[in-house]
Amino acid sequence: MGAHEGGPPEGLLVVGVDIGNSTTEACLAVVAPDGSITYLGTDLTRTTGVKGTPDNTEGALKAIRGALARAGRSAGQVETVLLNEATPVISGLAMETITETIITESTMIGHNPTTPGGEGLGVGTTRSIGELGEQQPGEPVVCVVPHGWDFDDVAATLNAAVAAGVDVVAAILAGDDAVLVTNRLTRPIPVVDEVSAVEKVPLGMLAAVEVAAPGRTIRTLSNSYGLATVFDLDPVQTRQVSPVARALTGNRSAVVVRTPTGDVTDRRIPVGELVLHGAGKTLRVDVDAGAEAIMEVVGRAQPLDDARGEPGTHVGGMLAQVRDTMADVMDVAGQPDVPPSEIAIRDVLAVDTFVPAEVRGGLAGEVALENAVALAAMVRTSRSRMQLVADLVSEGLGAAAEIGGVEGEMAVGGALTTPGVDRPIAVLDLGGGSTDAALLTREGECTAVHVAGAGELVTKLIDSELALGDREVAEGVKWYPLGKVESFFHLRHEDGTVEFVNEPLPPHVFARVVVLTPDGPAPVPTRHGLDHVRRVRREAKRRVFVVNALRALRQVAPGGNLRALEFVVLLGGSALDFEIPDMIADALAPHGIVCGTGNVLGTEGPRNAVASGLVRAHAALVAEEARCRSS
Amino acid sequence: MPEQLTAPGPRPAVLVYRHPGTPAAVLRQVCAGVEEEGVPTDVTEVPGPDDATALAHAAAAESRLSVGIGLDAAGAAAVHHGTLPEGAPVVATPARALPSDWRRVGRVAARVVKHLPLV
Repeated sequence: MGAHEGGPPEGLLVVGVDIGNSTTEACLAVVAPDGSITYLGTDLTRTTGVKGTPDNTEGALKAIRGALARAGRSAGQVETVLLNEATPVISGLAMETITETIITESTMIGHNPTTPGGEGLGVGTTRSIGELGEQQPGEPVVCVVPHGWDFDDVAATLNAAVAAGVDVVAAILAGDDAVLVTNRLTRPIPVVDEVSAVEKVPLGMLAAVEVAAPGRTIRTLSNSYGLATVFDLDPVQTRQVSPVARALTGNRSAVVVRTPTGDVTDRRIPVGELVLHGAGKTLRVDVDAGAEAIMEVVGRAQPLDDARGEPGTHVGGMLAQVRDTMADVMDVAGQPDVPPSEIAIRDVLAVDTFVPAEVRGGLAGEVALENAVALAAMVRTSRSRMQLVADLVSEGLGAAAEIGGVEGEMAVGGALTTPGVDRPIAVLDLGGGSTDAALLTREGECTAVHVAGAGELVTKLIDSELALGDREVAEGVKWYPLGKVESFFHLRHEDGTVEFVNEPLPPHVFARVVVLTPDGPAPVPTRHGLDHVRRVRREAKRRVFVVNALRALRQVAPGGNLRALEFVVLLGGSALDFEIPDMIADALAPHGIVCGTGNVLGTEGPRNAVASGLVRAHAALVAEEARCRSS
Repeated sequence: MPEQLTAPGPRPAVLVYRHPGTPAAVLRQVCAGVEEEGVPTDVTEVPGPDDATALAHAAAAESRLSVGIGLDAAGAAAVHHGTLPEGAPVVATPARALPSDWRRVGRVAARVVKHLPLV
């Protein structure tokens, strides 16, 4: 590439264009009459519209013009534009919780205020602070303080009641005043605060309030038998309250109110069966059984013809949702709509996950971790409209445009320009929607597969497991290393190194876990520590990309034997990730495979493989023709 | 007990520099915010500059925890840290604010001391 001595190289100017799910790449080269290639330049831009639709034309033209501008060429000089035949797969995602914690009556406050007051366990009858004056001495009382009470008044009222002989054993506050109140009490009691729905705390009921010392967690209310002891429960009742104990585990403070009909139910929603058709068999698997069991059955039904879910169950709904989305994508103006029922799901990736969900009926925004299954599904479509895109590109550029080859084969061709590789070579294209593998044998045979689940699923897992509720933030967590801002002037990276900065870090990132974006640290809105966020990120990547890398490579490897592979080249956007290539290489190392991120043309990294593969394929044809002519 | 060789300095605390005209309600809520987080405060009346940020900066420079709060006569408040330039306080609230904003000023000051996110 670059300047060519002795004038421009002779031959015809061709551009390879790869329209991907998120980026469109172009590779400009001169192909000499003997088929030799001189690369002139590359370009990369965002894909416009959904891949494989006429909207792609704009991005394709932009990439072509970008490459031409860099090489100092004009559109009029272009002989042929080569487009990729888009991999005819579309993927969809769905996630559904399979457990749910519901409090049928208000019985529990299990949130974690940052600053509860006092410590210990107090068991008594709930009474509003307004009624404390009328309380008879002797009976233990848990005082409930609504919004609007000042901490000095609360403390004075409690002190007066205690002086009058009322046995106040604990308090529940609406505001963030627990420490202030406890500091002013004559007799120390445990105090739980920041109970936003304090008016829902039932009065006149037996309640237990527990606050642990700083750095400790509660011991009695998070123990089923502790609850049984406090509330004098029989074995049947103890079984009923055990979900309460489980929900309170790990908290520093908690309140449990025993109401006659109250209990927390740990309800399992019927998830339903996944029905897999493939390899001449029909196999059924309960989604309840978890990702491992599902994937084992998916493996037995390979190659998959279709997957369906029982109607009226969660899995039925999940797959219907995926089908509907895909039907929309495949609809072509002027042609009859694709009925969702005719869309066949050709691969499924199931991932176990957990979703922090607000406990229904909780009084302080309690969150319980619910088990969930995420499914990525993939369909093959027969309706590629790349020819239409080619026609539009041709019109817009004033040069011929044609479909130059199928994506998988082109990617292998491009990957072969990576220094240090040889046949047999396998490529893994780590994309957004699907993970694709292709193998080129020593004999020149090429096979390609596509499996469901890639970058989008990783983002979704990170988003839900950290309860971020913001796809952009989740993308940030996926893409950039983490750090912890330790003062206004230094931050600790996730590997432990500490960096001093010359300009003070802004207060909104102070003491926070941050992602280190090119624009500076951005806070991750979570109460979890850096290690937890890091673990969630790495686990999400492992469960999707490492699992899929092995799955896809086994499908292309001769006899499903990974040892038969020699060189594996990682391509695609996620091959630019700072840890995914290492994780895959670690997983493949035991099989004696050389694995690394591609460096297409020796300069482009994992980018531009398909575009430069298109140019190579074209050049091979030119060379073939030249040979035919000469012989 | 070993003999005390030097006079004890001021104890580690968030220093609050208040203008003599600071409304009592503002001071009370700001101090409550710090106390709720379990951090001690020392309040000093500082006649002179009637500027919350300048007072906070001076207080932070003096505080053994490097954290100061400034309150002006109108009730505006600011939190400062000893390492920050005077023009860039950690947080500042205008004179006409709510009690919950004053409480937050105190909480932020305490959380700077405790190295917790400033919510």
